[in-house]
Amino acid sequence: MNTQQVHEEIKETNLSYMLLAQQMIRDDKPAAIFRLGVSEELADLIVGLSPAQLLKMASSNMLLCRFRFDERLLLNLITDYNKDRMMSQAHAAILMAGQPAEVMAI
Amino acid sequence: MRNKSVVNEAREIQIAVDLIELGARLQLLQEETALSRERLLRLYKEVKGESPSKGMLPYSTDWFMSWLPNIHSSLFMGVHQYLVKNAGVSGVEALIKSYRLYLEQVRISMGEPELSITRAWFLIRFFDAKMMQMTECKECGGQFVVHTNELCAEYSCGICRPPSRAGKTRKAAQAEAQLA
Repeated sequence: MNTQQVHEEIKETNLSYMLLAQQMIRDDKPAAIFRLGVSEELADLIVGLSPAQLLKMASSNMLLCRFRFDERLLLNLITDYNKDRMMSQAHAAILMAGQPAEVMAI
Repeated sequence: MRNKSVVNEAREIQIAVDLIELGARLQLLQEETALSRERLLRLYKEVKGESPSKGMLPYSTDWFMSWLPNIHSSLFMGVHQYLVKNAGVSGVEALIKSYRLYLEQVRISMGEPELSITRAWFLIRFFDAKMMQMTECKECGGQFVVHTNELCAEYSCGICRPPSRAGKTRKAAQAEAQLA
């Protein structure tokens, strides 16, 4: 994949991520805050973005979303995989719920 | 103190319907809404098509300590605390939202929901009464439900260190036999 292609992919991912996030927050804000792992303040900001602003944000050459797993968490998910797949998903959910939400720095 | 506002009453009825659909017992509805017992009974029959079950509520704190219930309760409580802290919801709204998210997660990954909404409601009350608390598993860092002041300096959760007979129920054996 050359740089141009990577940039295109990132743009597309960013755009669908932002659109999905907006849709989720509009449908059910508390649930979206849980699923996205963001603070209420950040959720309000995301939902308030205009389409033009959204496009501008999405066309960056960096991804707007990032991994929500710290290393210990990720390790757990991988090592648990062979043991019991069902339980490892539940485990991941418990660990994710215990993590702090992404907040805006003031 | 009777509520005379029609809008408030409509909201309470909606809450009651949501709770009934999620499987709540009548006593829970009486606590969480200002509607009369008669109206709740009628509503219950209308929504469920049957009379509410009678008898005492499951009030034990020990139930939350056994292996699978503890994992389910910890998942629910994790969601609930996250929502209360970050999403600005509280009271019965937080109960409904977090129970729905819990159900969704369980259906995706763990099969049958183990925790009923009535028990979930009790769990929140036990937390408010400081009878139970969350503690961190030393191995995975997840938050798990324990009794308050339990000796848990070296706590390991039921997923990191499952008890030897964990999950080996008759039902699981039958399911496996069917697969084979």
